[in-house]
Amino acid sequence: MSLERKEIAALVLKTLHELGEDLEKPDLATGDETTRLFGARSSLDSMGLVNFIADIEERLSDEHQIDITLANQSAMSRTHSPFRRVASCIDYILELITEAEKNE
Amino acid sequence: MSKLALITGTRKGIGRALAEHLLEKGWRVAGCSRKKTDIQSANYHHYTLDVADEAAVVAMIRSIKRDIGPIYALINNAGIASMNHFLLTPAETCRSVFETNITGSFICMRECAKQMSRQKKGRIVNLSSIAAPLNLEGEAVYAASKAALESLTRTAAKELGPLGITVNAIGPTPIDTDLTRTVPREAIDSLVQQQAIQRLGTTQDVIKCVDFFLDEESDFITAQTLYLGGVA
Repeated sequence: MSLERKEIAALVLKTLHELGEDLEKPDLATGDETTRLFGARSSLDSMGLVNFIADIEERLSDEHQIDITLANQSAMSRTHSPFRRVASCIDYILELITEAEKNE
Repeated sequence: MSKLALITGTRKGIGRALAEHLLEKGWRVAGCSRKKTDIQSANYHHYTLDVADEAAVVAMIRSIKRDIGPIYALINNAGIASMNHFLLTPAETCRSVFETNITGSFICMRECAKQMSRQKKGRIVNLSSIAAPLNLEGEAVYAASKAALESLTRTAAKELGPLGITVNAIGPTPIDTDLTRTVPREAIDSLVQQQAIQRLGTTQDVIKCVDFFLDEESDFITAQTLYLGGVA
């Protein structure tokens, strides 16, 4: 089940690029770890972010048999949302996977 | 490929009847309950879990997609009741009824809707009860949980409508199942007296409504609660 950060980063960026192409948003289609995922300076609207999160959960499940819920209490209660940028989202997923492994 | 439904609480009662009905119609069915089932069909897949266990439900729903296919319909049938005078109902009973009837239904809806949104279509049917509109005495916590489920149905319908997913509820009258068998006869009679058509319901009555909501052509029908027996 273990995934390294670079593998998670590849999965997240692939998801972002595909979503960017679907939504015809070039900045998302070529986005990198600094890309903003929400807020006034993001190209993703609220439904776009919902779809992005659901796509990542599905990919983790389908490709790596990792069943985690990204939008959990821990994410919602943080001062700085883990979904503000791609990089923080990758770090957060790594944290959740590490935590899930500890609890197995 | 035939359609796939997830039905919660398939070990007995309405859930089992619904599973057998859809299997007869050629559907593939995934079912779950806290204990094992003896439903025998190559098109039936059973998962043993508690619907209020978030991690277990998430794992089940993702495994259904990986191993069987994407879910077209969710029937949230699993539920527990508690018959007690209001003054004598323990808080723990309240928590446990809401855990299964609301939290469990909510988790199943959320996870199935994620899959359905990919297909741009899906059907969610929640099993409520006429105990909610009739404010049934002795079932305060159960009736409140079903009223909450109806509210969840209406709000989810609004949020999921743009994704091609309909969300409806059915409010059956008392049916002779394990859930109602412990209710005193007088209480059942008093409930039936308040119906326009005064008889106990049958699983067939519920099946008719489920078929209606699951129909592909019912794609403009959402946020509704359909009460049986003429309860309004």
